[in-house]
Amino acid sequence: MTNTVKYNKILILLIMLILNPAVILSQEIESKDACFNCHAITEGRLKTPADMFKSDIHFRKGISCAACHGGDSKEEDQDKSMSKSAGFIGIPQGLQVSKICAKCHSKEFETLSKSVHGQSSTGTGLVINSCITCHGIHNIIPVKSQGSKVNGANIVSTCANCHNNASLMKKYNPGLKVDQLEKYKTSVHGQKVFSGDSKAANCASCHGNHDIKKVNDPNARVYITNIPSTCNKCHGDANYMREYKIPTDQYEKFRKSVHGIALLEKGDLNAPSCNKCHGDHGASPPEVESISKVCGTCHVLNSQMFQESPHKPAFDKSRTHECSACHSNHEINKPTDEMLGTGEKSVCIKCHKDNDKGFLAAGMMKNMIDSLLKDVELANYFINAAEQKGMDVSDSKFEANDIKKVLITSRTSTHYGDIEKYLNTINEGFKITNKAKIDGEEAVNEYYFRRLGLGVSTIFITIICITLYFKLKKIEKKQKT
Amino acid sequence: MGKNSVNRKVYGWLDERFKLDDLINFMKKKEVPLYRGTIWYYFGGITLLLFIIQVVTGMLLLLYYKGSSELAFESVRFISAKVKFGWLIRSIHSWSANLMVLSAFIHMFSVFFTKAYKKPRELTWYSGFLLLVLAMGFGFTGYLLPWNELSLFATKVGTDIPKTIPLVGGFIMNLLRGGEEVSGSTLSRFFGFHVALLPGIFTVILALHLVLIQRQGMAAPENWDELPESRKKKIPFFPNFLLRDLLIWLIIINVLSVLAVFFPWDLGTKADELAPAPAGIKPEWYFLFMFQTLKIIPAKLFVIDGEVFGVMLFSIAGLLWFLVPLMDRKTKSGEKSYWLIYSGIFVIIYIIVFTIVGFIAK
Amino acid sequence: MNEIPGYTEKSSRRDFLNYVLSIGFFGWIVAILYPLYSYLVPPKSPDVDVSNISIGKASEIENNSSKMFKMGNKPGILIKTKEGELRAFSATCTHLDCTVQFNKEENLIWCACHNGKYDLNGKNISGPPPSPLTPFNINVQKDEIYILK
Repeated sequence: MTNTVKYNKILILLIMLILNPAVILSQEIESKDACFNCHAITEGRLKTPADMFKSDIHFRKGISCAACHGGDSKEEDQDKSMSKSAGFIGIPQGLQVSKICAKCHSKEFETLSKSVHGQSSTGTGLVINSCITCHGIHNIIPVKSQGSKVNGANIVSTCANCHNNASLMKKYNPGLKVDQLEKYKTSVHGQKVFSGDSKAANCASCHGNHDIKKVNDPNARVYITNIPSTCNKCHGDANYMREYKIPTDQYEKFRKSVHGIALLEKGDLNAPSCNKCHGDHGASPPEVESISKVCGTCHVLNSQMFQESPHKPAFDKSRTHECSACHSNHEINKPTDEMLGTGEKSVCIKCHKDNDKGFLAAGMMKNMIDSLLKDVELANYFINAAEQKGMDVSDSKFEANDIKKVLITSRTSTHYGDIEKYLNTINEGFKITNKAKIDGEEAVNEYYFRRLGLGVSTIFITIICITLYFKLKKIEKKQKT
Repeated sequence: MGKNSVNRKVYGWLDERFKLDDLINFMKKKEVPLYRGTIWYYFGGITLLLFIIQVVTGMLLLLYYKGSSELAFESVRFISAKVKFGWLIRSIHSWSANLMVLSAFIHMFSVFFTKAYKKPRELTWYSGFLLLVLAMGFGFTGYLLPWNELSLFATKVGTDIPKTIPLVGGFIMNLLRGGEEVSGSTLSRFFGFHVALLPGIFTVILALHLVLIQRQGMAAPENWDELPESRKKKIPFFPNFLLRDLLIWLIIINVLSVLAVFFPWDLGTKADELAPAPAGIKPEWYFLFMFQTLKIIPAKLFVIDGEVFGVMLFSIAGLLWFLVPLMDRKTKSGEKSYWLIYSGIFVIIYIIVFTIVGFIAK
Repeated sequence: MNEIPGYTEKSSRRDFLNYVLSIGFFGWIVAILYPLYSYLVPPKSPDVDVSNISIGKASEIENNSSKMFKMGNKPGILIKTKEGELRAFSATCTHLDCTVQFNKEENLIWCACHNGKYDLNGKNISGPPPSPLTPFNINVQKDEIYILK
């Protein structure tokens, strides 16, 4: 960490060293470039490029006008320097512009060509894969300098030039939203950037620059599975974040959470990434009272039940963080039944103590779910036992399908925080498990009944056989005499 | 004694109408030779009992069975799961079918080795042979009826074999399958064969078979005529032999119930005509020796197709077996025909070995 | 002297044999007749279910309502839309295998477990379900609805 900081400081120093003499030089020293010299002393339209070019990094590096426009910059005779035979091309049009830049910046151009901007260009009208669209023309200055079109707050408006323009955007992607700037202004990032903090994230921090990809392209930095590491570039850097005084372990926590495992390990794209809760362009932490709404975008029922519960007003009053009070925030683990009740791992006893109403209700709920689980186990045991004994239990299994549902709904209904409502839900579960249990038990009994029946009929057959045998002996004895 | 008088009255009433006395006297006069091989006489009766059980349980199954590709599997599951004692009826039907084929085989070989087919009992042999073929037909058609995965593919393989017969093969296959492929129409067809066509023919031949036995009596062992009268042990057919038969029948019935309770017949998974063939497709065990033979015959034998050769081989062997009474000239003239005994032993060993190989083979 | 007691002894033994035989026979007949009788009594549960099942009359199902049916071991749901169009899907939620239901008010298919929602084409539109419900083909013949898998 300290190394990067050192490196950054040295870099900034270097840039300043390079820039400062250039600024001085450009104003005082006449250029040897004939094009520039001529244009600088003309008036109006022809003078503007030369005036602008004075501050351009290319000019300071001694790159002549001819490098882009062609012609002979050493020849002072206008007819000769701007002749076709000298390679003069005038104002480059369309794609020609980027190709001229690419003569030196070939790598950037190549990346750009593969980016969403390079791929989406229609070839007519505004050329979106042109370098000058973002970097400007004749007044290009280094990215790090304040005035650059692609620096800090400037890049936001540079991007917004197009992305805030609905009639323009619909030419390329009618479905794409154009409210990014508005949202960004509300985000913590935006507010910091607009108040002059260039460390806060701007468009390029997350989307990249030349290599911007569509959000649904798995290579994009903002593709759902890439978002956590993209955010983590800054938020996981303790030094970088030091002045903001916020934790930097979100990524580590998220990675271990049920959401992180689902998203990053199992590749479940329905799992939330950072932006699902914090917003993307309008990124900010959810307000205490809106946590359950944010979580509720996916966990709808839990959220609804919580809103109705007596916990809601109590939490609001005590400024308790709604869902995260029990489930934590970044490191949300798969909830267990132990979270309920009055045991060690219970979350209820964080507030409820000393046999108050909630304490008792929590204990009762835990007991109920425990005994439902025991019933489920028993029902499954009977069904499996019957199946192993070769009985057909397809019907019981069909009914047992609902056991899963009942377990889920019962566990969900704890969020009502209301013993009555909880009982209503869980009683349904006892009914289903009872039915499955009885069915399985009957099947097992039927198995033994079959054996019993066989035994009874065997006894009768044995009796008949024995008596028949004696009768036969008797008849034969009689026949002999 | 009052009960006895009631019995007597009923008997008298029946006797007046059916002349039962004549029948009983006939049966009393009929005698069964008592010797080492007497035990083999019982297998005909056992086969008959098992056939009767097949008829009864078959009719019961018909009450719930539905012979179409959509309903067959589910209806069989319905029988085994929902209908009270349906599992018992179905398992007995399946077990009894297998035991019937087994006891028919034993019956046939005992007749073969005791030379009971010789004059005047050639017709009994012919009809018996046909009954065995029909019984195997019952097995083949019945195997498909639950419409499960194994039976579907076993039937595919089985009905594919006639295709190799030159000229008429394709026609026979189409006739069996009711189309190009084994499908719902094959099931309807097999169902028809199993419950109408085959039972009809079977009953007629069985009647002939039984009438012949009753008219001609039990075949005596080979050297019976040479024995002095004092050493010819005999028992009357009625009641002595019939009661013994009854005893064995009861035991068989109980064996069936035990098998049905302890080894209920598996239903498997529903057939899917589009699914790939599962591993280990095997026909019923009594086809296994033929199936295994066809498998080991090389694909090409000289100029003929291996499978064609196999089918021809079994057809000729079957025909020869059928015509045994004609071929056995030596026995007719009173000599021992060793080559026939040896070939009979060869056939038994062949069948046993190839059946076992078929079971073990993957 | 010996003959007479011998005779009576034999005759009583024969009676006893007959007696035992009758009992055995009677018991055995019962042991056969009872299963036979039970077999013949039609079972209470409805008839077989199959891949091509009839689930009732189209005219008897109201518009904007649904009907659950059994598809082998799994539940299925038949929906008659407001326009009277019939649609059938597997009723097993693609999220965690709960059984879904028709929600009349919202005009969609809804899973109570996690509030998963599917539109009336079976497409997952909201909540956790990762994929759409498997549709079944419907065949209506003479007002009788058949579901084909």
